[in-house]
Amino acid sequence: MKKLIAMLLTSSMIFSMTATAFASSDESDAAYVKEKGTLVVGITDFAPMDYKEEGSEDWVGFDADMAVAFAESLGVEVEFVEIDWDNKILELEGKTIDCVWNGMTLTDEVTSSMECSNAYCNNAQVVVVPEDKADQYQDVDSLADLNFAVEAGSAGEAEISNLGLNYTAVKAQSDALMEVSAGTSDAAVIDLLMAAAMIGEGTGYENLTHTVELNSEEYGVGFRKGSDLAEALNEFFAASYEDGSMTECAEKYGVQDAVIEQK
Amino acid sequence: MEQIMEQMPIVIHSLNIGFIQTLKLFFVTLIGAFPLGLIMSFGSTSRFKPLSWFIKLLIWIIRGTPLMIQLLIIYYFPGLVLHNPIWGGGESGRFLAASVSFILNYSCYFSEIYRGGIQGVPVGQEEAGLVLGMTKTQIFFKIKLLQVIKRIVPPMSNEIITLVKDTSLARIIALQEIIWAGQAFMKGSQGISGAIWPLFFTAVYYLIFNGILTILLGTLEKKLDYFR
Repeated sequence: MKKLIAMLLTSSMIFSMTATAFASSDESDAAYVKEKGTLVVGITDFAPMDYKEEGSEDWVGFDADMAVAFAESLGVEVEFVEIDWDNKILELEGKTIDCVWNGMTLTDEVTSSMECSNAYCNNAQVVVVPEDKADQYQDVDSLADLNFAVEAGSAGEAEISNLGLNYTAVKAQSDALMEVSAGTSDAAVIDLLMAAAMIGEGTGYENLTHTVELNSEEYGVGFRKGSDLAEALNEFFAASYEDGSMTECAEKYGVQDAVIEQK
Repeated sequence: MEQIMEQMPIVIHSLNIGFIQTLKLFFVTLIGAFPLGLIMSFGSTSRFKPLSWFIKLLIWIIRGTPLMIQLLIIYYFPGLVLHNPIWGGGESGRFLAASVSFILNYSCYFSEIYRGGIQGVPVGQEEAGLVLGMTKTQIFFKIKLLQVIKRIVPPMSNEIITLVKDTSLARIIALQEIIWAGQAFMKGSQGISGAIWPLFFTAVYYLIFNGILTILLGTLEKKLDYFR
């Protein structure tokens, strides 16, 4: 028994020693990525930022296309990997991915655990109403008698219940839109980016429009803590905003109104 | 109901792809763990004490910790602690890390089953073999092995069926097996979002596959019945 304990102690000591011995690495993250020749981007399936067109194996979307362009500017290949969103920090620190680029809201939790780029996209929870009634509902006070449809468990539901308004919880944001379109609910609350892509001219919901923004949030890209790639990306964002390629890419996915000016 | 019928082709396609990953992990684990478990059972019964202690320590650690934690450690530790992500971030790296974790884990369980089977053969048979001038190796392969196989089929069947379901743990390192594929439709994938039924539907795949395995293993057991 004594031997066993001694063995356990020694092995745990050796383990912690190796852990500390290898814990420091001076190499810059950009140099590391360039050396291995691929930028591994952690994503989830999230239209219109990162998604696959039906029947296609390639990731597209505003975030996916920008990630491809950024990797090109670094002179490396891009590789998209679907991750478990709850494990994103583990994936970054374990170097199994190099960044998370997936419409990530910059919360305190996110900015304290990752090296984040500048915010590049606005998102908000917006009220969606039929276009012909939009004039009546331009501020929060005017919403009082409406019946809302919101996605169960979404940020929109939280906002509406905070305001103490009547609502029906439906399965998905797209169902909420269907409710408004069919007239079974007066209004819906969904993500601004989703609204930009799914309603208005040239979409399936031409008679709908969005009015009041209930809260606002910003999207950013996350890198490993201390990574110099965040700075590199900020410069890349500034350059591609300047030459218009970022806006062009945003227009392709209908999110141009949400893009934040990059300097 | 109508909505489910519309979603069915897309969902089934996606679940099939996920189930192929599940099957791949299942077969790779079996192919790796059958021989490794046998080698470990020799190790743990070895008369060379340091070896048998080492194997027993390993079995204690592997059987004493959750497979989910082992997956996390094997996949993330090389990058986190050694700053050398040997597995890489891609799908093949995740599969490889999952395979290693599963083979290691199942070898430990298998080795104990083998050990029980080997030690269950009456010692008189070995003595008889020695009297006849057979070597230990000859005794093992010509006298013991077939009896061992017969004895271990029922406990092995148990582990094999558990393995089919355990593969779902690999989703913790984002291996996209069938449960991952089913769950994707809850938050939205390929134009379907908020669909809960695909996740529950994955159970049908497990059930059918385990049904087939149960029949196969039952047949094997019957074929080995001639010892009685």
